[in-house]
Amino acid sequence: MSKNDNNDLKELEKEILSGIQSCIKCRECLHMCPTYEGWATQGPYGRLMAINLHLKYGLGSEEELSNLLFACSTCRRCLERCKRLSSGTSVTDLIIKARQYLAKRAKARG
Amino acid sequence: MTKVYEGVIPAGHVYIRDSVMEKGNIFGAKVAKSAWAKDLNLPRKAEYIFFAGCGYQLMRYAGGMMGAIKAAEKMGMGMDKMIGVSKAFGKLGIDVAGMAGKFSAVGKEDPYTRYLTNAVSTLRKLGVDLGYLYEDEPCCGSPLYYSGFIDDYIENARRNYERFRSLEVKKIIGLIPACTGSLKNLYPKLVDGYDLEVKHFIEVVAERLRQQNIKPKLKEKTVATYHDPCQLSRYLCLVKEPREIMSRIEGLELREPEPMQRGEWSTCCGGGGGMEVCFPELSDRLAGKRIEELLATGANTIITSCPACEMQLLKGLQREKKTDIKVVDLAEIVDQAL
Repeated sequence: MSKNDNNDLKELEKEILSGIQSCIKCRECLHMCPTYEGWATQGPYGRLMAINLHLKYGLGSEEELSNLLFACSTCRRCLERCKRLSSGTSVTDLIIKARQYLAKRAKARG
Repeated sequence: MTKVYEGVIPAGHVYIRDSVMEKGNIFGAKVAKSAWAKDLNLPRKAEYIFFAGCGYQLMRYAGGMMGAIKAAEKMGMGMDKMIGVSKAFGKLGIDVAGMAGKFSAVGKEDPYTRYLTNAVSTLRKLGVDLGYLYEDEPCCGSPLYYSGFIDDYIENARRNYERFRSLEVKKIIGLIPACTGSLKNLYPKLVDGYDLEVKHFIEVVAERLRQQNIKPKLKEKTVATYHDPCQLSRYLCLVKEPREIMSRIEGLELREPEPMQRGEWSTCCGGGGGMEVCFPELSDRLAGKRIEELLATGANTIITSCPACEMQLLKGLQREKKTDIKVVDLAEIVDQAL
């Protein structure tokens, strides 16, 4: 892993974590999510929490997190809800950024 | 290259990445992308350049690809254990490139490509000075962004901008919402000095109809409902414009779904973010749900404006066994009415 890659990754990690900080955990986004069928991790809120726990404490394997993130259809319905009636967290963009983080880390590892 | 992503990025997404980076289109089909435009006499240089994108031209290969993925899952091969879908195709004896050869006659049995012709004809009728880049048109690479390959996306974007500059492109009109969003909203953030003016087809049509005060008329009375593609309503924020166009068309009765299922709140067709390549069952379920919501309006035609949504809605209709309902693109409706 080169120094440059490492800096990029750190930067992206910081961006994602600080983005998640603005979530007030009202869970209103869950009802908006088309893939939500009962489990929080099938919705935006659960996905954000899973990203947070994985990045901060290494909880859950990469594969498990990847499965949660790629089940998102990136339709932004949650983002619309959060923007208008809650804290304005850029939920969908954070999920896409987390996918980018996983891909970047995998590539840097070689 | 693909091995590093094993277990991190689903195989279907890696396959799409390799296709865009190596073959310049999303499904890796070896097909002349500009075949649909050969009879239209579009110039290579004009005030506005039409960006056709991959979706409408290649969506007919997607059906076969999804079928192969589902077959692989039923056979217990487990998609994520495979290194790449392209290899899975080899194992199943399906050759994407070979399939491209079979469908070389563009336009007849293919339900998607004709919408490009409709869009060009509409813009011409409204007096837009329109050109097309033919085989020089690059792939915008938007799936790369949503699948997480940000470095490849930026590399592709910079290369594309150089190409647009060398071809003296200044203004672009896109038809596929995802491609237009990519060129309009993502490129300026990632490419230094990006100065192209990008508009979506619907934006231009709404503007021109308003300016010229045209009221198009449909020959047959149609009762239709409108499905807002997520990339159009929530990424490009075009909610009023398609409705403005449809309200101008005489002979078109628009029946909207419930308020929480339309416009900014429209529900997903299940085709976004590439979820249909790694979670086909879930994606099918969403398509079925969306069809139910749309058909509750009592309409017999579904109008939408995105190739992925059209594919998903057709799948949903099959799933719900509603064969008498039509799915059409807004471009076709406007073209017929004008």
